Amino acid sequence: MTLPIEIKNQQFLLHPLGGIFWEEKSLLLISDVHLGKVAHFRKFGAAVPRKALHKNYLLLDEIVEHFNPFQICFLGDLFHSSLNKEWELFENWVAKIPSEIILVSGNHDIISPHKFEQIGVPIFQELILENFLLTHHPEEREGLFTFCGHIHPAVRLQGFGRQKLRLPCFFKTNAQLILPAFGEFTGTHVLQPKKEDEVFAIVENEIVKV
Amino acid sequence: MTQKELFHIAKDWFHQQSWKPFPFQKETWKAFLQGKHGLLNAPTGSGKTYALWFPIVLDYIKRHPNYKTKHKKGLKAIWITPLRALSQEIKQSAERVTQDLETQMTVGIRTGDTSTKERARQKTTMPDLLITTPESLQLLLSSKGYAKVFQDCSAIVVDEWHELLGTKRGVQMELGLSRLKTVCENLRIWGISATIGNLEQAREVLLGPTSEALQNSILVRANLNKKITVRSIIPEKMETFPWRGHLGLHLLEEVVPIINKSKTTLLFTNTRSQCEIWFQKILEKHPEYAGEIAMHHGSINKETRIWVEEAIRNESLKAVVCTSSLDLGVDFAPVETVIQIGGPKGVARFLQRAGRSGHRPGKESVIYFLPTHAMELIEASALQVAVKDNAVEDRIPYLNSYDVLVQYLTTLAVSDGFYPEEIFSEIKQTFCYQGITENEWQWLLNFLVMGSQSLKTYDEYKKVEVEPDGKFKVNNKGIAMRHRFQIGTIVGDATITVRYQKGGYIGSIEEYFISKLTAGDVFTFAGRNLEFIRIKGMQAHVWNSTKRTNKVPSWMGGRLSFSAQMSKLLREELYTAELEFKKQSQEIKSLEPMFNKQREESIVPQPGEFLIETFKSRDGYHHIFYPFEGRGVHEAMSSLLSYRIGLLEPITCSLAFNDYGFEMLSDKPIDIQAVIDNNLFTTEYMLADLQKSLNSNEMARRKFRDIAVISGMVFTGYPEKGVKMKHLQSSSQLLFDVFRDFEPDNLMFQQAFTETFEHQLEEGRLRMALERIATQEIVWKACTNATPFSFPIITDRLREKLSNEKLADRIKRMTKILTK
Repeated sequence: MTLPIEIKNQQFLLHPLGGIFWEEKSLLLISDVHLGKVAHFRKFGAAVPRKALHKNYLLLDEIVEHFNPFQICFLGDLFHSSLNKEWELFENWVAKIPSEIILVSGNHDIISPHKFEQIGVPIFQELILENFLLTHHPEEREGLFTFCGHIHPAVRLQGFGRQKLRLPCFFKTNAQLILPAFGEFTGTHVLQPKKEDEVFAIVENEIVKV
Repeated sequence: MTQKELFHIAKDWFHQQSWKPFPFQKETWKAFLQGKHGLLNAPTGSGKTYALWFPIVLDYIKRHPNYKTKHKKGLKAIWITPLRALSQEIKQSAERVTQDLETQMTVGIRTGDTSTKERARQKTTMPDLLITTPESLQLLLSSKGYAKVFQDCSAIVVDEWHELLGTKRGVQMELGLSRLKTVCENLRIWGISATIGNLEQAREVLLGPTSEALQNSILVRANLNKKITVRSIIPEKMETFPWRGHLGLHLLEEVVPIINKSKTTLLFTNTRSQCEIWFQKILEKHPEYAGEIAMHHGSINKETRIWVEEAIRNESLKAVVCTSSLDLGVDFAPVETVIQIGGPKGVARFLQRAGRSGHRPGKESVIYFLPTHAMELIEASALQVAVKDNAVEDRIPYLNSYDVLVQYLTTLAVSDGFYPEEIFSEIKQTFCYQGITENEWQWLLNFLVMGSQSLKTYDEYKKVEVEPDGKFKVNNKGIAMRHRFQIGTIVGDATITVRYQKGGYIGSIEEYFISKLTAGDVFTFAGRNLEFIRIKGMQAHVWNSTKRTNKVPSWMGGRLSFSAQMSKLLREELYTAELEFKKQSQEIKSLEPMFNKQREESIVPQPGEFLIETFKSRDGYHHIFYPFEGRGVHEAMSSLLSYRIGLLEPITCSLAFNDYGFEMLSDKPIDIQAVIDNNLFTTEYMLADLQKSLNSNEMARRKFRDIAVISGMVFTGYPEKGVKMKHLQSSSQLLFDVFRDFEPDNLMFQQAFTETFEHQLEEGRLRMALERIATQEIVWKACTNATPFSFPIITDRLREKLSNEKLADRIKRMTKILTK
C-alpha cells in the first residue's frame, strides 16, 4: 500500500493517508492537518458533526503506528485557527506518542509558540536536513530538494466516455515535492502537471503513479 | 360608513378613469370588506392590484371616518412581491388610490435596494402601506420589537403566489404568515396567483390547512377568457434545419416580418445568454432597428430595465428581446405580438407570456413559437393542444423543510427570542410543517442550542441560548449579524458586478464566467462588446471594445422539466408521425425529412414501443433510451437503470437527459440484451434501488449544498467582501462527506435525499412511467451513427456521473489512455 521513491539517494515511502516516511532518518513528514477546524466552525455557530473531530487523531494514530518513526515533522497548518478546546485533545495525543514531534509553521499556525514549547513541540520557520529543505510554502532553492505543503494538491484525470476524476496527490517536480493535505475536512486545489513532473495520486488505499 | 357607500367611492374613482370595475374586482372588494381571507386567481396586467389596494384603503376609511383630516400613523397593510423590480410599479398604483381618495396614507418600499437611511426612518415610523419581499419580511422579524410594529397591520397580500409556491421562499412566507397571524390583532391574508393546476391547494398552503383562516376564505377567479392563438414558425427547408442547438438563429429572418407588422413585439428567450445573442444578431443583420429594439434581463442594471419598461409603455420601441424578467408584473398595453424562442418548458409559463399581448379585454392574444431545433417542432405541436385544453402544471409545495425552519427559529431568536410551545403550535398550522412530530421539533431545538443531540464538556458550540425562563435567544452580536446577512432561501452562484473602469454600473455576471477571463478578453454583455481589464474585490472592470467576439456569459439557472400532462401530449404528437400525411399537424408534416432520416437506422416509436439506440463514437459508447417522460423522470430513470446495470457488471458512465430521453455514455459497451433479459425496468424494489443509486451520484450532494447554506451550517461570507463562493461550494461538499460518515441521521442531511426524491426525481411519476414501459415492446436498434432523435441529447454537456467500479480499476484504465 505504500509506494517507495528515491530522491538524492535517499529512500522515501509515500503513504496513502498523505504522509511521507524518510527511511534513513526515520522521519515522518505530514502536512496541512488543520486540527481544530471542526471546533472552530462550531464555535462560530456552524454545526459540523462533532464526531468528525476525532477522525484526524485516528488517522494520525494509524500512520504513526505503521511507520513507528523516531521523529514526526508537521509541515505547517497543523492548527486551523486560534486556540480552542481541541488543543486539549492534541496535548493528550502528543503525550501518548513516543516519537519526537516538530513543527515547521504555516500561515494558519497562529497559536503562540509558547503553547507548543510547553508540550515539548519545537517550532521552526524552516528546516534544512542535509540537502533537503522542509518548509510550508513551496519554494525552490539552489542545491536543495524541498518538501512542502500549503497547496493541498489534486490532479484531474480524464478518460474515454467523458470520464473525469479529481484526486488528492503527491506532486513532485525536479526540485520539490508537495504533500497532500493530511486532514479530513480540508479541500483540494487542482494542479496541472508539466512534462517533467511526477504525480502520485491517492486512490482509496493505494498510491497510483499517474 | 356602509359597504354601499364605500363601494360608491370605488366605483366613482373607476368612473373618473373611464373604467368599469371587473366582476372579479367587485367580488374581491366585497369579500375583503366582509373580513374574509382569500386567493385571487388573476393574470398579470388584469387590474389585480386595484382588486386589493382598494378594499385595503376602503377598510381604513371605514374605520376612520374623518380620514381626510386626521391621519393615524403606523403600518396597516403589507404587500409581498417576489421581485423587488416590481415594487415601484405596485407603489405607483397604491399611491394613485390613496391620493385620489384624499386619504393621508403613506406608501413605502423596503427591499434589498432600500437605503440604510430610509430603513432607519421606517424603523421610527412605518409607512401605512409597505411593499416588500419575502426576505425583507423575515429581516423585519429579526429586528427587536417587531411585534409592536405589526400589531395594527390588518392585511397582507402575497402577490404572484404561484411563483413562490413550490419554492423555499414559499415556505419562508408560510412561516412569516404563521407568526403574523398571532402578532397582528386583526389580519386578513390574501394571495394573488396566475392559473396553475392546483389552485385550491395554493389557497390551503397560503392560509394553513387546518386554520380558521381557511374556513373563512374564498377563491376568486378572474375568468377573463382570453382567446390565445399559437402559431409555429416553420422552417422552409427542413433539410438544412439543425438537429440540435438552443439558439434558434436560423430562423432570425422569419422574425423580421413579424416585428415589422406589429407595434411592439416581445421576444422571450429562455436564458440570459440567449437573450444577449439574439439582441446582438438582430442588430447585426438589421442595423436599421438601431434605437428601436432593446434588451431586458435580470442582470442588466435597474435604470436600463426601468427605461425599457417605460419605452414599451409609450410605444417607442419596435421590439424587446427579454427573458422571464418580463414574465411578471408590469402592464404593457401596447404589446401586440409575442414570440417565444425555444421550448418554454411549461404550459403555465407559455400562457402567461402569450397573455402579454393583446391586453385589451376580448382581444385575442397571438404567440409565435420559434423552434431552436427540429425536435422542438413536436413540442410546438403539443403546445397547441395544451393551450387549447388549458393543461397547466401543478406547483408542488415543499413539506418538512427543516433548513428553512432552523433559519426561521434563529431569526426569531435574534430579535426578541421565542418560547418553543408558542411557536410549535403556530408552525403546526402551516402546510409545510403540518406533519412535524414532537420528536423532530425537539431535535431541531437541540440542534439550535447544542449543534447536536447531546452536550459534551469540551464542545464550544455557540448559537442560540436558553434563558432561565425558557426563552430561546441569540445574545452574541456576531452570530446575530452573520445570521441577518444570511437570511434567504435562494442559494445561487456568486455574482460579480461589471463596471466601466471610469465608473458606471453595467450589470452583474456569475463569478464562474468572469473567473475564466484573462485581461484583454472581449465578451458581449448588456448588448455591448466589453474588454475585461481586471477584477477588484467583487467588481470586474471593463471598457468598451470594437473587437468582435463570440464569448457570451452563461447563467446556469435551473433547467425545467416537462409536466406529466405535457409529456403525454408530446408522446401523442410524436405518434402522429406514422399517421396519414393529411391527418398530421403542420409541424409534424414539416418534420418529414427528419423522420425519414431517423427511420434509416432506427424507428419513430409508436404507442406500443419503447426505443433504445446504441452506437459508438469518438466520445465513447452511447446508449440512448427514449421514454418521452420529461427531464425529471429521465434523470431518475437513468440513475436507477445505471445502478441496476452496475449490479450485472461494474460500470462507470456519464448521464445526459432532455425531455425526450436519456443517454448513458460509457467507456465500454453495455449489454442491452442483458438489460432486457433481466427486466431492469421493473417497478419492484424501485425505491430501494433508487435510494442506493443516489449514493453514487451527485444529486443529493447538490441539494445538500442549499440546505447547508439555508440552515446556517455554512457561512457564505459578507457581501462585497470578496469571500469567494467557491469556498462555500467546496466546504459544503466536504460537509456532505462529513455528515455521511459521522451523522447520517441528521435531519437536514436526510432532507437532502427526501428533496431529491420528491422535487427532483418525481418518484411517483417514475413509477407510472415504468409501468407504462412494462406494457411496451422494447425495440433495440444498434446504429452506426447518431440519429436525429439522439443528437440533442448526446451533445448536452451538462452531465451527471455515476460509477460503482473500484476507483483503482478506473484509474488504471484512464492512465492507460493518458499514456497511450
